[in-house]
Amino acid sequence: MERRDFFKKAIVVAGSAAVGTSTLDAGETGNPIDNRKVSDVAFPEKRPLITYSDRPPLLETPREVFTSALTPNDLFFVRWHMPMIPKYINPNTFTISINGLVEKEIKVSLKELKTQFKQVELTAVLQCGGNSRTAFKPTAGGIQWGVGAMGCARWKGVRLKDVLKKAGLKKEAAWIGFNGEDKAVYSETANFVRELNLEHLNDNIILAYEMNGEDLPYLNGYPLRLVIPGVYSDSWIKMISNITATKEKQKLHFMEKAYRIPDNECECETPDNLVKKTKPIEEMNVNSIIGYPVTGSKVRNASDLIVRGVAFDGGHGIKKVQISIDGGEMWEDALLNDGSEGKYAYRAFTYAFKPKNSGKLTIMCKATNEKGEEQPFAKDIKWNHGGYKYNGIDKITVEVV
Amino acid sequence: MMKKLILILLLMSTTLFAQVDGGITIPYIDFPMKEGKGVYSTRGKCNMCHSWGYTLNQGLQSKKFWYEKVMKMIIVFKAPIKTQEDIDTVVNYLFENYGNGKLQ
Repeated sequence: MERRDFFKKAIVVAGSAAVGTSTLDAGETGNPIDNRKVSDVAFPEKRPLITYSDRPPLLETPREVFTSALTPNDLFFVRWHMPMIPKYINPNTFTISINGLVEKEIKVSLKELKTQFKQVELTAVLQCGGNSRTAFKPTAGGIQWGVGAMGCARWKGVRLKDVLKKAGLKKEAAWIGFNGEDKAVYSETANFVRELNLEHLNDNIILAYEMNGEDLPYLNGYPLRLVIPGVYSDSWIKMISNITATKEKQKLHFMEKAYRIPDNECECETPDNLVKKTKPIEEMNVNSIIGYPVTGSKVRNASDLIVRGVAFDGGHGIKKVQISIDGGEMWEDALLNDGSEGKYAYRAFTYAFKPKNSGKLTIMCKATNEKGEEQPFAKDIKWNHGGYKYNGIDKITVEVV
Repeated sequence: MMKKLILILLLMSTTLFAQVDGGITIPYIDFPMKEGKGVYSTRGKCNMCHSWGYTLNQGLQSKKFWYEKVMKMIIVFKAPIKTQEDIDTVVNYLFENYGNGKLQ
């Protein structure tokens, strides 16, 4: 009986993340789709989220969550590539292997990670390269995310560098490949392996076992995941269990084909003239999102409204966030939090004002980083086939009553 | 007695350590497929490996896009779609039901 009810519900839910509609002209980038509802079925350790797929799990965080500097674990987005995810990991027997071009191949247990290496903590934004993909027209390939394929957490773990050091990298090692425990249905299918050029190895790259003071949730990569602050999440391997050092770059679909953008100045192309030379998406560009109010909110005329949101970039730091309530003509500075979580974290912002006229009111936010880079208007963002790196000025429309 | 106590303590520490005791169960969510020619064959070939949600949430796409996706599934992910006829069936079903009207 219960089971049947569940399936009835599930069918209703399925429609919620269906293909969205848009009335935008072909070719002009707009704002991402913003009206999707959370599912009424919660995934393990999660509250109900916007649900695109159960196999593999693809879950988006609703906009309302982006009012605070840290994203709660149970609201944190989920994106897996392979459908077969271990449903149980024994923390007492789990190990990570370090092999390939090393002096000594080793396996390190969770307990050893926690006791034999320097423990480090840092706060960093985890964002899918395809976040807000629905802004692109024509529809770019990939999951049609709204604004919520991102989150910010305090990660605790050990430096990748220290673990590699324990195995001892050989001189000729140049690339480090990472693999997690998720698998495809067919054994012939290659695993989701990602690689890092050793030149990019730094102290901020960690193997994290904790997220916001708790064990990682299963769906965010329990018991161990890679954290690479400042870059999009495609290489933040979940349930990481193997690290291999090689001399040459491996030939991997997920490195050669996926998560790449045109290697030109505008990082853009057109559907009938795709650019052949591509590069990895890598560093996140400057971005900001309004978490409150949201489109459709009703606010009282002349009441004290506090706009709240978050801003971040690839690690240069946020210089300012500005708000416009006149369609982007006049901009006023929002208040930023103290930034004590560091340059890879969200800066939460607030902006207080009293709406003066009843009717529809559009509120926009724009972030500028320490390098002077600022978010462009959505319409000025050029298309790329994967719909990556959208960072248009955010906008929501409320009704003043 | 002492052994027992150690065992109990060990078990306790395990439970405290892992937030989910004994693992997780991922819920099944139904993503209904549109009825149409080739739906049965497409269901068998695509949904074996991933949910229909993964497909449908790619958005409405051109015939070229769906053809390339199917070929990627075969070449990169080793999907067992063996004959040209099967490829055509799946591509046509996708384009007719989840297409944007454009061939290219």
